[in-house]
Amino acid sequence: MIFSQLVINAIIAGSFYALVAIGFSLIYKTARFFHFAHGSVYTVAAYLCYLCFSLWHLPLLIAFAAAIVGCIVLGVLCELLIYRPLRGRGAGSLELAIASLGIFIILQNTLSLLFGEETKTLFSVEVKEGMMLFGAKITSTQIAIIASALFVLFCGFILLKHTRIGIQLRAVANDPTLAVISGIDRNTVVMMSFALGSGLVAIPSLLLFTEIDVTPTIGLNIFMMSVVVMIIGGIDSIPGVYLGAMFLSFVQTFGTYFSSSKWQEAIAFCLLLLFLLFRPQGFLGRKAGKITL
Amino acid sequence: MAAKQGKSPFELLGLMEYLLHILILIGIYVILSVSLNLLAGYTGLLSIAHAAFYGVGAYVAALLALRLHSPFLINIFCAVILSGLLGLLVGLPSLRIRDDYFVIATFAFQVITFSVLNNWVSFTGGPMGLPGIPPVSFGGLVLSPKWVFFLLVLLFAVLVLLISWRLVASPFGRVLKAIREDEVFAASLGKDVSYYKVLVFVVGAGIAGIAGVLYAHYISFIDPTSFTVMESIFIISIVIIGGAGNLWGSVIGAVVMVALPELLRFVGLPNVVAANLRQILYGALLVAFMMARPQGLLGEYSFGKGGGR
Repeated sequence: MIFSQLVINAIIAGSFYALVAIGFSLIYKTARFFHFAHGSVYTVAAYLCYLCFSLWHLPLLIAFAAAIVGCIVLGVLCELLIYRPLRGRGAGSLELAIASLGIFIILQNTLSLLFGEETKTLFSVEVKEGMMLFGAKITSTQIAIIASALFVLFCGFILLKHTRIGIQLRAVANDPTLAVISGIDRNTVVMMSFALGSGLVAIPSLLLFTEIDVTPTIGLNIFMMSVVVMIIGGIDSIPGVYLGAMFLSFVQTFGTYFSSSKWQEAIAFCLLLLFLLFRPQGFLGRKAGKITL
Repeated sequence: MAAKQGKSPFELLGLMEYLLHILILIGIYVILSVSLNLLAGYTGLLSIAHAAFYGVGAYVAALLALRLHSPFLINIFCAVILSGLLGLLVGLPSLRIRDDYFVIATFAFQVITFSVLNNWVSFTGGPMGLPGIPPVSFGGLVLSPKWVFFLLVLLFAVLVLLISWRLVASPFGRVLKAIREDEVFAASLGKDVSYYKVLVFVVGAGIAGIAGVLYAHYISFIDPTSFTVMESIFIISIVIIGGAGNLWGSVIGAVVMVALPELLRFVGLPNVVAANLRQILYGALLVAFMMARPQGLLGEYSFGKGGGR
């Protein structure tokens, strides 16, 4: 029984990681830098939903939609106002990452300023008894997380393989210069990936927010997990992200079962270091230029 | 409004004490940012693990002073050695990975170090921290007045500046800059790039350990929250805003970043609001400098290479 519960927990966590990391990885593919503010976009989604639903008493679905739209706008604004001018003057990936770090700090503290540091919940205390599945407990939210991860994985796969924008996206990811020569507008593609990635990260945020409270400071954790998943999975493919997320969550779940849950972060980052040193292209990736001389 | 937020720092400490406190903090951050500048500004190895080195220094000193009652100079010696060893460990991945991937590797070391400080409760005290660290004393002579401790911090800051200055002005420093500008070129001149990279990490981390020792003995209570990722980011922003690749830049950066937000205290804002506004100010400065002056106030390097793709 405990074994199947562990497996289910790992699948839930893995699906959540995958949902968070897919958007991050889409952005990294085209823009080629670590978008720290991805973590704060996640947090902003939850707070927008809280604002609309709990403070303005709008219907839940409208609150969700507002949050997703808000995240897309935020992602695109970051790109248009800050990253694009930086790229325009030929800034490198580290400079972009530092600017992104600045945005991350601004957003997190603006949320604390507006809403306070204390935790916020969507629904007042209401302990949901999970249903049983293969002898393990699972709640409807958790099923929704698993399902939407699979759905996003599927859609992302179709999008990248078979649509015009997907092909352009892969072209820019593969070789920006060649893509530009072929008549693809790199800026538009990067902007699209910011819109997509930022919209996608709202989904796990909102789903989880129906069960678990948020604070302004969770963004850093979300960013860290996105990085770990992306590097373990390899930046080249969407199935890689899913695989990386599942691998991370299984190692974490079973690792913490045999030690203690407080070592969760340390386990994730030891795994990251091992991958960076010995398989930096991840599970399903090709060799990237960032490694060795 | 004014009555509600309690006493101003003036009333609490007295003007002199308060100013000395700020000066001591500035001194500690000068040591931290100068040592990070050696790695990030001169060698081009941006590291998010600096708070980890700082923390290891502080914890080594605190544990030695509390458990073994060892004298200050021995604490500093051991702290420098152990932080330097951690620096060796963090520097090693730089031989295989570079640019933002390397930054992420240092990030991993920072998170793991914090996790150990926070979770190894029997040894480090965990989230409860280590209270009651004794003040600095030399052979029974306790340096308790604040201004004496300030002189000690000043002495160390000047020493660190001198050592760093000698280092970067020497042939060693020129090799570091060559690595920063073009690693392959430096290697083609017969320089052992790996050796230099790891060595500068050991030196930088060891110096950061000194700052940790001073901090532990000054505040007399340490807990892991002083050595988080955010602390690393704060030290990075000092280096970036002051100017990477210029030692005076780090000094000016530390003065600006520590002293400027103190002005917010006197506007009469509640403490929580002031703390958030200070952070927003740091963030905005980072973005603004990246957009308008990526090399910082006095710097000569802007993390710009190795970029676009």
